[in-house]
Amino acid sequence: MSEPARTPFVASLPEAEALARLPGSGVAWLDAARRENLDAFAAAGLPDTRVEAWKYTALRALAQRRFAHRDAQAATRAVDAAALALPGVDGPRLVFVNGAFRADLSSLAALPASLSLRPLSQALGEDAEGLRFALSHRYREAGDAFARLNAALAGDGVVLRVAAGKAIARPVHLLFAGAPAEGDLAWHLRTIVELEEGAELALVEHHVSLGAQKQLATVVSDVVLRDGARLDYAIVQDAAEDATLIRRSQLRLGARAQAAMHVQELGGALVRHDLRAELAGDEARLATHGVFALHGRQHVDTQLAVRHAALNTASESIWRGVADQRSRGVFRGAIVVAEGADGSDASLSSKNLLLSALAEIDTKPELEIYADEVKAAHGATVGQLDERALFYLRSRGIPHAEARAMLTAAFCRAVLQAMPNEALREHVSQLLLAHLPAE
Amino acid sequence: MTHEPSNTAVEASAATLLRDNAEVAEALGRRYEAGFVTDIETTSLPPGLDEDIIRQLSAIKQEPEWMTEWRLQAYRHWLTMPSPDWAKLNLAPIDYQAISYYAAPKAGPKSLDEVDPKLLETYDKLGVPLHERAKLAGVAVDAVFDSVSVGTTFRKELAAAGVIFCSMSEAIREHGDLVQQYLGSVVPTGDNYFAALNSAVFSDGSFVFVPKGVRCPMELSTYFRINAMNTGQFERTLIVCEDDAYVSYLEGCTAPMRDENQLHAAVVELVALERAQIKYSTVQNWYPGDENGVGGIYNFVTKRGDCRGADSKISWTQVETGSAITWKYPSCVLRGDRSVGEFYSVALTHHRQQADTGTKMIHIGKHTKSKIVSKGISAGRSSNAYRGLVKVEKGAEGARNYTQCDSLLIGKRCGAHTFPYMEVKNPSAIVEHEATTSKISDDQLFYCRSRGISEEDAVSMIVDGFCKQVFRELPMEFAVEAKKLLEVSLEGAVG
Repeated sequence: MSEPARTPFVASLPEAEALARLPGSGVAWLDAARRENLDAFAAAGLPDTRVEAWKYTALRALAQRRFAHRDAQAATRAVDAAALALPGVDGPRLVFVNGAFRADLSSLAALPASLSLRPLSQALGEDAEGLRFALSHRYREAGDAFARLNAALAGDGVVLRVAAGKAIARPVHLLFAGAPAEGDLAWHLRTIVELEEGAELALVEHHVSLGAQKQLATVVSDVVLRDGARLDYAIVQDAAEDATLIRRSQLRLGARAQAAMHVQELGGALVRHDLRAELAGDEARLATHGVFALHGRQHVDTQLAVRHAALNTASESIWRGVADQRSRGVFRGAIVVAEGADGSDASLSSKNLLLSALAEIDTKPELEIYADEVKAAHGATVGQLDERALFYLRSRGIPHAEARAMLTAAFCRAVLQAMPNEALREHVSQLLLAHLPAE
Repeated sequence: MTHEPSNTAVEASAATLLRDNAEVAEALGRRYEAGFVTDIETTSLPPGLDEDIIRQLSAIKQEPEWMTEWRLQAYRHWLTMPSPDWAKLNLAPIDYQAISYYAAPKAGPKSLDEVDPKLLETYDKLGVPLHERAKLAGVAVDAVFDSVSVGTTFRKELAAAGVIFCSMSEAIREHGDLVQQYLGSVVPTGDNYFAALNSAVFSDGSFVFVPKGVRCPMELSTYFRINAMNTGQFERTLIVCEDDAYVSYLEGCTAPMRDENQLHAAVVELVALERAQIKYSTVQNWYPGDENGVGGIYNFVTKRGDCRGADSKISWTQVETGSAITWKYPSCVLRGDRSVGEFYSVALTHHRQQADTGTKMIHIGKHTKSKIVSKGISAGRSSNAYRGLVKVEKGAEGARNYTQCDSLLIGKRCGAHTFPYMEVKNPSAIVEHEATTSKISDDQLFYCRSRGISEEDAVSMIVDGFCKQVFRELPMEFAVEAKKLLEVSLEGAVG
């Protein structure tokens, strides 16, 4: 590989000394991991579209920008608390504004004894060693640039643990907010979630905008479900219109563990989500439901990879996409059934609506199968609304534009049905409607 | 599992053919029967590749100046290209200097009557209907042995219809203007690594030209065979159908058993003008290597059809059972409005074979349509991948694609993969993809066994049913051969 030229993005990275100001600095293994990941990122820079994982998402424009990787006023930015609330989500809350933990906005009082929920900065001070496994990772793949960057620069985030056999009654609300700041700001957060044997949790990851801003945010989440644990995990992404948001969620499911994910991609200018799940224990089950509704010049890229690595595991993935105006929706859904993972049952559906002549959809459902006692199927479509359905509605006296809006909404809503939290589901439906083309 | 009547009909009519041509059945009887070596004298260039070799090759073939230059340009470009490594292939590096780029039977054949009887015997063993047998089958054959075309049957009948069907070397000499007009217009010399190599060193191949309004009176066929050691086969096929013309073209391939890997890097270009139709069928049975993956052909082929005219149609049908590694994506560029592209494929891999194959459908014209049906069967420790691209460009108003990819797994150590890319830039387009992966179910097997059918026969029946959608597209005699090939290739896969 040829030496990439130092882009403004790389040139504006913090110096190695700046790492010393991050929480947890002084812990030898953490310092080494941060430094190595930073060096690896600086050496390789941002991936170009020749890297298969970034084939449809060009980072040329991002590479030309310079970012400050710290907001000195993050702790004092004025925040309208009303903008943070989500109906149906009234449990413990952890709020981050521009990458900094805001105790004043969070609600961590009266946590159930079985739930441990702390900001990463605090956890590093109290028990760094317990986070060693998650935080000493070196990312080596060509497409891992942002994971490296995050590993090097994330100074805060979430550490959540649910004790064995306990069910947490109220959903935990993780809030990642971007507030207007001077200049181009980048911030990085790291989330570590562990559900012990048989634990149960509902988690809501919420990305929200507190005003127009062109920030870059990276969030890397590790979620571990021990045997028999259950997780309901909703991600409501409603970031600012000009924001760049790069996320990576890694789930690992033990035996009989069950996870259900509900992902809504609504905001952001350039959004990328790598969602990787490994069904590592026998009879683990995973369901992912996701939707993106794009307009303007939005670019949203979801890379889902489900790996079946144990006996009798099941996964179901249902994804919908709508691209209007000049937007571009990218979806890759890979299912891997590892050697020996007999009895795997995997299905994936990616259906997309292309509403404008200037929009584009690129979808790539993949199957990689190394075992033979397997049922695996995927389907993908790109098209328009069903003419017959439109005709039906119009014949009932519904105007064309309204009929289109109804059908488009119904198309997206199909994936929301699986959300158990009714109030949240209703709210998210309304958000989604607001993002769909108006009548 | 029941056979549909159409399939039985194919078998019945094929039986007649098989009686006259019992060698087909015999040749396909057991294991890799095409693995014999024919002992005839060959003239070959010394192994190695440089500009001199290319000039010599061009001189032997008495090519005009422009052709030599064309080759040299391709060669110079090839030197600048890196060897591709993106596919999921386990591939030892290829030493391009160890390959001999030209091997021809020594006594240059003037006509079919002068063809070395031993050579004809080879084709006999393979069951190629050359010579009189050609009449029986009604197929005009251009047989390529190692690197040169040894005889084309049915010349007169074709000439009367105005169809040109000859070897590429002859076409370069006698229809230079036509070749110059179309060669490299679908697959440019620098298209990819192996296409560039082929452009530099291709030794022979077939040329078909069907003029305006002509429906080619018979099916045309080429049979390829790699015989000599340390040779590569680099054939180049060019088929041009002018307005309203039609041709159906068949291609078959075999090679002797050898321990080394041999390279086969062909380029096939199809050009369909207004309302023209080209049907291209391949049964590929190159030597796949032994159970342990020793030897076998590297089959790295670039095939592309250009639907240049409105309402034209190109249809690819392939049955891939051979080769240690297959790496090919027969494609259609749907340029003309309302043009149609089709791809039907059965790829079977066994032992340690690797296949990475699929298609590309590039929709450029308005109301273009494409259909992809791909059936992959993996057995043993093989790996079988479908990789395809459906691209709808901005102007492709009303484009329509349907893709179906099914994989069948036989055994615990094989892999079956599907990598379909869909890129859509036109909102009126409809693109659909469906894929499934499964194994032969115990229920199906049990049902057959309980009816007194042996396990091996049951598997072959089930596989046949799985592939029927593709076999239906094959010309009749090929369908029979393909079915036999699958049975032979699957031998020992069960139990």
